[in-house]
Amino acid sequence: MKDHTINIGAQVKRGSAELAILSVLSDGPLHGYEISKRIERQSQGLLRFNLASLYPLLYRMEKRGWVSGNWEGPAGGRQRRYYRLGPAGKRRLVPLREEWGQLFQALHTLAGVTHA
Amino acid sequence: MPDWRAIARKKLGPLGLEAKRQEEIVLELAGHLEDLYSDALRQGRSHAEALHSAFDAASDWNELRREIELAVNEEVAMNYRVKTLWLPGACTIALSGIVLRLLQIPSAPVPRVLWPWHSTELVIYCWWLLSLPVIGAIGAYWSRHAGGRFLERALAVSLPALGMVCLPLLMFPFVLVYDLIRFHSFPFVPMAILLFGWGVLPEAALLVGSLPFLRRDASTEHGQPVASH
Repeated sequence: MKDHTINIGAQVKRGSAELAILSVLSDGPLHGYEISKRIERQSQGLLRFNLASLYPLLYRMEKRGWVSGNWEGPAGGRQRRYYRLGPAGKRRLVPLREEWGQLFQALHTLAGVTHA
Repeated sequence: MPDWRAIARKKLGPLGLEAKRQEEIVLELAGHLEDLYSDALRQGRSHAEALHSAFDAASDWNELRREIELAVNEEVAMNYRVKTLWLPGACTIALSGIVLRLLQIPSAPVPRVLWPWHSTELVIYCWWLLSLPVIGAIGAYWSRHAGGRFLERALAVSLPALGMVCLPLLMFPFVLVYDLIRFHSFPFVPMAILLFGWGVLPEAALLVGSLPFLRRDASTEHGQPVASH
């Protein structure tokens, strides 16, 4: 199983990581750890983020206005930084999905590669 | 329970950001480590295994710090490129040019090796080539010392050779058209010899010297798990 795991930080282009994050945030706000777990679960363990691949990307996306982060949590309890999809992120998600769909379509046509 | 905030703060080190933003980042990373640790304990793993699981999420804190700085601070990103690429690169170009110029002084005792195969005369400055590994080592060391990654180090070292081949390559289409019109042929062999002598050979010499400094600097890594008391 481990041999087939894709290390996002090193091997998958940034665009695919952005798509993964924007996609899970389109379901609702999540904090960083939830984002990584959600992506890992929904990709059945194939895609995994570590600290170095997740947080710098989140901060970049925040600077671009794709996501916004806010500290939330119970009074006196642990605060977490929740990320929400912003309007710019929603706009970016549509073409990203199309681009990756076209890429997989092209690979399927070319080499019989199918969606996971 | 380990003090994740202290661990994250210590491992991350100073980020070059304002204190409030830095503390937010430390707090966020600490929360992530704590979640990993707690999840591992819930799954029935031992304290040591849970710690290991948490630290696996960030094996290279230097890389994490650099990536965060580049993501958050544009000025840092610009300074990073200047410090790790352009300054060491300018140094290697300058040193390479100075040594080559010194060797071209007519009175200087310079053994030159001429290309023996073709009518094209390619002067290979042996002493210059021998100096390039040292220059490459200086460039790579400088870039690594400034925090450069493999790519910046390799580029900083390669700039003198890249500069030498870029000019001929830029002229290539014009020379090609001119020679085809004028002579109905193109001097591929002389061109290849020139590229070899002024591009491939210097690049190889530069890289040979830089090899010890192209590898990851183990002494500055902080990726090992720490005691959690």
